[in-house]
Amino acid sequence: MSNWQAFQQQGHLDPDFAFREHIFAQFRQAAQRQSQAAPMTSSTATATPKYAFEARVGHTKTPKNDINALILDYLTMEGYPGAAANFSKEANLAPQQADPSIKTRQEIQHAIHSGDIETAITALNALDSDILDKNPELHFSLLRLQLVELIRQCYGGDITPALDFATQQVAPRASINEQFRVDLERAMSLLFFDHDSNLSPELKDLLSSDLRRKTATKVNEAVLVRQDQRREAAIRALVRMRAWAESSARSSKIKDLPPDIDIGLNGENAVEFQGLTETNGHEPMITT
Amino acid sequence: MTNPYQQSQQSQHGAAASNFPRSTSYASIVSGSQQQQQQSATRSSALGFSHILDPNPDAELDTHNPYYPELDRLFSRPNIPTFGGAGMDMDTGYTSRNQNENGHNNNNTNSGPWPPPARLGSNFSMSRAFDMFLNKEPLSFADAADVDSAAHKGTGAGANPFLSGGTAPNFLAPSYLRGTTYLTKLEEQHRARILAEREREASVPGAKTQTRAGVLATNGNSHHTLSPMSGKVHTGGGSHRGVAFDVVEKSALSQGLVEEEVNPLPSRWNMDDREPSLELSGDGYEVTFTGRMSNEHEASAVRADHPMNPACGIYYFEITVLNKKKSSTDDMPPIAIGFSSQMAALNRAPGWEPESWGYHGDDGNCFAAQNVGKAYGPKFGPKDTVGCCINFRLGQAFFTKNGKELKVAFRDINFKDVKAGKLFPMVGLKKTGDHIWANFGQQPFMFDIDNYMLEQQQIIEDEINRVDTRILAPGLSETELIQQLVLQFLQHDGYVETARAFAEEIHSEKSALRLSAKEQVKGINIKDDEDANNRQRIRRAILEGDIDRAMRYTEQYYPNVLKENEQVYFRLKCRKFIEMIRKEAEMNLKLEDRNRRLEEQRSRQGLGDNDEEMQDEWDDEREFYIDQLGKLSMEALEYGQELRAEFTNNPSREMTKHLDEISSLIAYPHPLQVPEVSHLMDAKGRVAVAEELNSAILTSLGKSSRAALENVYAQTSVLLEDLAKDGGPGAFVTLEALFRQFPPSKLL
Repeated sequence: MSNWQAFQQQGHLDPDFAFREHIFAQFRQAAQRQSQAAPMTSSTATATPKYAFEARVGHTKTPKNDINALILDYLTMEGYPGAAANFSKEANLAPQQADPSIKTRQEIQHAIHSGDIETAITALNALDSDILDKNPELHFSLLRLQLVELIRQCYGGDITPALDFATQQVAPRASINEQFRVDLERAMSLLFFDHDSNLSPELKDLLSSDLRRKTATKVNEAVLVRQDQRREAAIRALVRMRAWAESSARSSKIKDLPPDIDIGLNGENAVEFQGLTETNGHEPMITT
Repeated sequence: MTNPYQQSQQSQHGAAASNFPRSTSYASIVSGSQQQQQQSATRSSALGFSHILDPNPDAELDTHNPYYPELDRLFSRPNIPTFGGAGMDMDTGYTSRNQNENGHNNNNTNSGPWPPPARLGSNFSMSRAFDMFLNKEPLSFADAADVDSAAHKGTGAGANPFLSGGTAPNFLAPSYLRGTTYLTKLEEQHRARILAEREREASVPGAKTQTRAGVLATNGNSHHTLSPMSGKVHTGGGSHRGVAFDVVEKSALSQGLVEEEVNPLPSRWNMDDREPSLELSGDGYEVTFTGRMSNEHEASAVRADHPMNPACGIYYFEITVLNKKKSSTDDMPPIAIGFSSQMAALNRAPGWEPESWGYHGDDGNCFAAQNVGKAYGPKFGPKDTVGCCINFRLGQAFFTKNGKELKVAFRDINFKDVKAGKLFPMVGLKKTGDHIWANFGQQPFMFDIDNYMLEQQQIIEDEINRVDTRILAPGLSETELIQQLVLQFLQHDGYVETARAFAEEIHSEKSALRLSAKEQVKGINIKDDEDANNRQRIRRAILEGDIDRAMRYTEQYYPNVLKENEQVYFRLKCRKFIEMIRKEAEMNLKLEDRNRRLEEQRSRQGLGDNDEEMQDEWDDEREFYIDQLGKLSMEALEYGQELRAEFTNNPSREMTKHLDEISSLIAYPHPLQVPEVSHLMDAKGRVAVAEELNSAILTSLGKSSRAALENVYAQTSVLLEDLAKDGGPGAFVTLEALFRQFPPSKLL
């Protein structure tokens, strides 16, 4: 039984309970941050760091409660329902929020990732019938992606379906916005070039799976915003802040920075990826 | 000036309290709500907010604050009555906050002077400034741990517990700095001092009132800070920090690094750093020129008690000219506002000397370390409020007049080149009748500095959002990098099932993203890592409160870990004791709950037909409970003795102290409801113990005790600290703000 509950029973029930609990939990965590320092320091002190910077990093507390919350936040917001549920169980945490849309969001993302835009649009309208009307840009992105997918399917065959779709669905919307028009023209030019040879970088990007991923992310963020939630998971801001802090520190010539600050992703605990082919044009992710 | 509080205290609390005017409120602050409630019962609610709400604030000011005749005159101006109203309350020092609080508390019981917040908000143009009073947040803390940890990160989203909760009397927390690393550090230091005092007090019973007075003196912002000496607090370095954290968890003490002290904010004018013809009054906020008219090249200046710290990012203060109104607006008094190092002479106006910058009211010129000024802004004089803002990141300063931002006055100030090192707020006066009052953030400012700060923070945030994360892991997009970080964390920390589920979901995502079915997708190999499973089993047991099971597993899988990590072993043993007490306490509560409900039922129904039957049933049940309780108590007692015996020869003071602390639990019939000890039993303690053990196991396996994600966190934290030092961009962002965005994890 928590102290709060005990306090409530004594009659000091506060209407703003949830908010208080939130604030207080933060405070507790902050305090706990202190408490978790000792084991970290004892273990990281084994190798004598070459730079004072490394020693300071070693002594910095990394609050497990915060990190766990960060993970749960990420899994929930970016649509990994299976992992989120398992994590709640294994870390003994209450699910971050009652978010019934997590599953739907994941299904929509999956449809977009698979190139099945029609299904995605249908599901999106079912979830929130206004969302596309309120976000013409988002709607156009989806339609353009759908056009690209059709062109991909038609490639080397009958291009009528792609042409029909472009004239009937995409063109009317493109006329209202200069950028839309440029985007449409670019997509259409895919019909006339050989996809396997020297495409310009812009056209190559259109055909890469990154376009699906980016569009899916945009849709996910739009849904979250419509539900008055944050746009993106906090871990993204953390990673960016880390990258920014290092480049700012280097450009402002902070003293005693090691030439290379390793985040330790390639250590003994690295994630192993099986197989040999890499599909999306990036460097292979083999890390061991 | 005499302390107005003492008089009001006497009149309301009678002789008993008046001998130690401060002790009551201090005690109420540190020990929880009881005394506050008592105070609110005895104290008249008239001292609360009535003067703010009164349509005729002048009358209120006169009755409540006869000590500020000048200010009363000033604030009788119709357009800023609210400003003065709130100010009076704040001005009388920390005690007035308690009054506010009590006014707030009273609201629950009588209709009092407390208005619905909406009305306040719409009636006052400066309502933003009153957020701290309008706060619906808790005024009493149920849990000592909460109070203590509140001090570490005293800035929750929008709510400042120091003002609303009354945890830190007289702590200067200017609104625009709330949530910044700098202010958070100040709060930590302040809190640590109070706790250190409390501890000393506890160990020296006779010295109670004296040490309480000492607490106030160490505040650095107390009524007696007119001399700079009392502002310098000697805390003996890290030990006080240690004490603060001690209350929650012991192990933090072994940490070797002690953060350096940050110097406090300027809080008052400095009695010992002024030209002698200036007189300070009004708790050190007011300055009056009392000398003869000085010659043209001279003026009388005073600096604040503490320098501005560039780690603030920006610093802002305001002065209000209290001179009597002159008939002609052309004839503005030669009053100047600015900042200087201690190298600048005090018999010269701000801006006329090397390492000195100022804005002069009589001609509207600004001066940058020379006699010749530049045309800058409007003149200012009686009843004008003028502010001075230094942006350390940009090396710029600008002024404000009556809430309006003027253009940049000084560019390219190289703060690192200031020979005397530190810059202080400064004001210069010259003629008889010159009289100003300063606001160092103890009151809401006239200029919307909060918004300016938000803009500055936004600039940095935008910069961060534009960054390319590929410098962290070449070849990985942001999305892929994050997936790897999360997956590596899950595996490293032994969340086996989650890692597997996540890997599957990533795999399905990647498969979907394939452009043709012919492409193969690499699977992620989640090793069936026996160690990971074992560690998860152990963690699970601790999180469920089953310490015996956890120790059994640990002995079985990692027989050396507990032998080689005495501290961890000790913590586990102690946690077991705590869990026993917890179990007993919970059962006790259940029993009482049943009792109470039975009583209620009985009083509602009167003597019913089946009453007897119920009584019998209940008697049986109670017997069972009592029997169980007895057993649990005995077990706990015996185990406690064993524990003592086992560690009795241990030289570690920390261990002994922790043992004493948890042993005290057994003395309380309802330890869960006693804020002084209940934090010891918090479920969060399980997480701490579990993670300590997990780290020890990882180390014994020769693995890094940290996952890459934790490295990212720690590295960011250190880099930000470096970036904040000289007023760099790090002053405008915090990791804490990032973690405040989403709800914290709640244990099941």
